[in-house]
Amino acid sequence: MAVPRGRPRSARFLVAGLVSCSLLIITLDYRQGPDGPLARAGDAVHTALAPMQQAVTSVTRPVGNFFSGLANLPSLAEENRSLKEQVAQLLTERALVEELQRDLDELYDIVGLRQTLDPAGVPAVVIANGVSNFDRVITIDKGEADGVGVDMAVVTGSSGSARLVGRVVSVTANAADVELIIDRDASVAGVIDSTREVGLLTGQGEEDLRMDLITRPLDLTGTPPQVFTVAYEVGGQQGRYPPHLLIGEVARVFEDDNQLQTSVSVRPVVDFSSLTFVLVLITPAPDEPAAGEPAA
Amino acid sequence: MIRRVLLVTLIVVTALLLQSTAFSELRLLGVRPELLYLVTIVFALLGGPNEGALVGFAAGMAQDFMLHEPKGITALTLTLVGYAVGMGRHLIVSSSPLVPTMVVALASFTGVVFYEVTAFLLGTFGETPAAGAKIALLSAAYNAVLTPILYPLVRRVAEGSVARRVVRF
Repeated sequence: MAVPRGRPRSARFLVAGLVSCSLLIITLDYRQGPDGPLARAGDAVHTALAPMQQAVTSVTRPVGNFFSGLANLPSLAEENRSLKEQVAQLLTERALVEELQRDLDELYDIVGLRQTLDPAGVPAVVIANGVSNFDRVITIDKGEADGVGVDMAVVTGSSGSARLVGRVVSVTANAADVELIIDRDASVAGVIDSTREVGLLTGQGEEDLRMDLITRPLDLTGTPPQVFTVAYEVGGQQGRYPPHLLIGEVARVFEDDNQLQTSVSVRPVVDFSSLTFVLVLITPAPDEPAAGEPAA
Repeated sequence: MIRRVLLVTLIVVTALLLQSTAFSELRLLGVRPELLYLVTIVFALLGGPNEGALVGFAAGMAQDFMLHEPKGITALTLTLVGYAVGMGRHLIVSSSPLVPTMVVALASFTGVVFYEVTAFLLGTFGETPAAGAKIALLSAAYNAVLTPILYPLVRRVAEGSVARRVVRF
């Protein structure tokens, strides 16, 4: 039987063209970095999709929470049909009420936090949670139009304890992407409250953060030591994050007798899987005067 | 043709939106499905290598624009996945409904591993090998679980948008 050769050949040409195109795009984007036309095209896609993400999130978040709640209730399987229906209905209502109550509490916390923090912040809603398994990034519904800029710190929590979430890595007119502190590209300077020792925390993905450059022994019996952000200045360049933001608690010390320095793992205090509201701390750019200061 | 392009665009955008919103909360042991891999594989199974490669490139570029990695890696990965699955569909002789599920699982796993290797070679892959293997395995398993739900939907849309030959007497 004669095998038609036209289609496979055309498919080979097509795939060769598309692969070449992909390699060209990778090279161009790699060379041009975050200011190139491809990055700007990405910003345009973000701007276009942000309202849709917001709409989809507002619809799917209660449903997702409901299913998560059901997964944790195995005893429902033993109920009879009518009770199951009633329980499911009640659970739906309760999940919705709890969700609303949680949102309300979180909003109260954010408002309290905003009043106590210096600099002041812009409250934002999390509308998307990254698109890849390799990218620990959330998208918020505030952008340039609200004063949000790249490198601004993002926090959550209450007025009693502001907790560090991450920093803004890209911003469009109506949305911004926030790199979480657990991302493998993220790093934060932190201080351990019990020893006042300063070290560098780096994200480890789904695992705890790792804090290096620790020289003094740490005692983990009793209440675990907490780690906060710390202000620093190197060569006139200030750190990205304001001081005194809670990062996490020391969970484990990596012992190594051969090294002068040791490392610890730090468990973040923020539950990144259920973030709904955050606060972006509006800080002026390095060459921009702070609010209330005269321009140079 | 225009109708088909619009439908593919709609499916890709929907997958992208669901992956970044709903499925970011419905994770399997911390891993979300790779819906755009699933869409590419299904189109390749239904339409062959040309369609698989084209849909893969478009879906990959759409995902790349949402990522903070060098753009083009996902497009490269999905182009090759779409082409390979499209070329290999002639080897499938069984009509069992399990076949698309297994193809999706295998192709998703291979695609994610290819993405990881490419990102590693470019110096942008920050995961440990164990985390990379876990993500590849679980996202492939998640895609396989979703296949019986999404395959008939995509097939219906894909077949519904093909221009039918008009026979006049």
